[in-house]
Amino acid sequence: MRTETLVARLLFFGGVASVALMLAGLIDLEVHAAALGHAFELPRVAENREAGRSVDVFVSMPALVRGLRQRPPDPVAIATAGVVVLLLTPVAGLLAALVGFARERDPAYVVIATLLIAALLFGFALRLGG
Amino acid sequence: MTDLLFLASIAAAAAGAGVLGAILGLGGGILLVPILTVFFGVSLPYAMGASIISVIATSCGAAAGHLRSGLANIRLGLFLAADTVAGALIGASLVGVVPERLLEVLFGLALSYSAFTTVRQLHVEVPVTAAADPLALRFALSGSYYDQLLARDVAYCAIRVRRGAAAMFAAGVLSGLLGIGSGAFKVLAMDHFMRLPMKVSTATSNFMIGITAAASAGVYFGRGDIHPIIATPVAVGVLLGSYAGTRLIGSLRNTTVRKLFLPVVLYLALSMLLRGVGAWR
Repeated sequence: MRTETLVARLLFFGGVASVALMLAGLIDLEVHAAALGHAFELPRVAENREAGRSVDVFVSMPALVRGLRQRPPDPVAIATAGVVVLLLTPVAGLLAALVGFARERDPAYVVIATLLIAALLFGFALRLGG
Repeated sequence: MTDLLFLASIAAAAAGAGVLGAILGLGGGILLVPILTVFFGVSLPYAMGASIISVIATSCGAAAGHLRSGLANIRLGLFLAADTVAGALIGASLVGVVPERLLEVLFGLALSYSAFTTVRQLHVEVPVTAAADPLALRFALSGSYYDQLLARDVAYCAIRVRRGAAAMFAAGVLSGLLGIGSGAFKVLAMDHFMRLPMKVSTATSNFMIGITAAASAGVYFGRGDIHPIIATPVAVGVLLGSYAGTRLIGSLRNTTVRKLFLPVVLYLALSMLLRGVGAWR
């Protein structure tokens, strides 16, 4: 498969998967709007409020994973998982490009793609870790 | 306004931004942020967070279509994205060190000049270039696409690669320093310096903006600015709109795309100059 086709498919399916998760979360939220107070995880709300951040969103991966693991899963966590998938889709596209360039034996672009992936992952690790 | 109508209206506005974004190589933030804040009463941080979502969703939807049609050049995109990301990292570390207002005035002037050259090139359908740049040959910054309107394959090869790369680096510094998007700068660098067909420039810019936006998306996520309830209709609308835009661009001339792009350059030049002289924040 051509590198272009590989990257195009990954970007497209990444976009579709993220939108599907976001929609599922939003529909779940609308359906269970009455029980909204129970769906929220209070420690996260308190943690966010102390840090001066919006209280009804997830800002870290550990909190997001907790939200997804609770039964039933927090609808906002499902939608946020979609957001995270979307944010990571360009990185996945770059990974696909890296694989494609390696197969085409194009060392210059293997280096460029690797440097870009490293820069993006460094940014993510820095911001999403805590 | 009911929940459903509110969400559907945002999705419709986002779809419009997606169509334009896919044609012009922009993330749609220029359009979407004012629409969300003025018409939907969304607070500015959430609107900015939604704008980042819009940029990445446009990039996913548009790049997927543009890569299939051969308009977006993946090597060109990565070559220039590396310059922009390097610039953005340096720009972010220069906050508070360099006088931002002076930079804004300088970029405002550079954009004004770009607007002038855009007007001069308004009727150039496919640029005629002389000898290829050795760097373009070294890094394979060339390609071809099938133009539906001209009914032929259009081959292209970048020239003045160093200047183009320097412009992308500068655009990265600016976006890192001032926290603004750089989609328009990317298109200008490819169109003006590297003399690439306008549609190749905007399509390749679409591929790149997702990468550079992802680099700063973590900041918005960590600050809690990406609200899923706002982000969802934006992502749905933009993804559909941008994919539709990739179909539409095939039936447009390069000159038409350039004409549509001109108001964006003029707006950016003016806003940058006004910010620089302190008349607009």
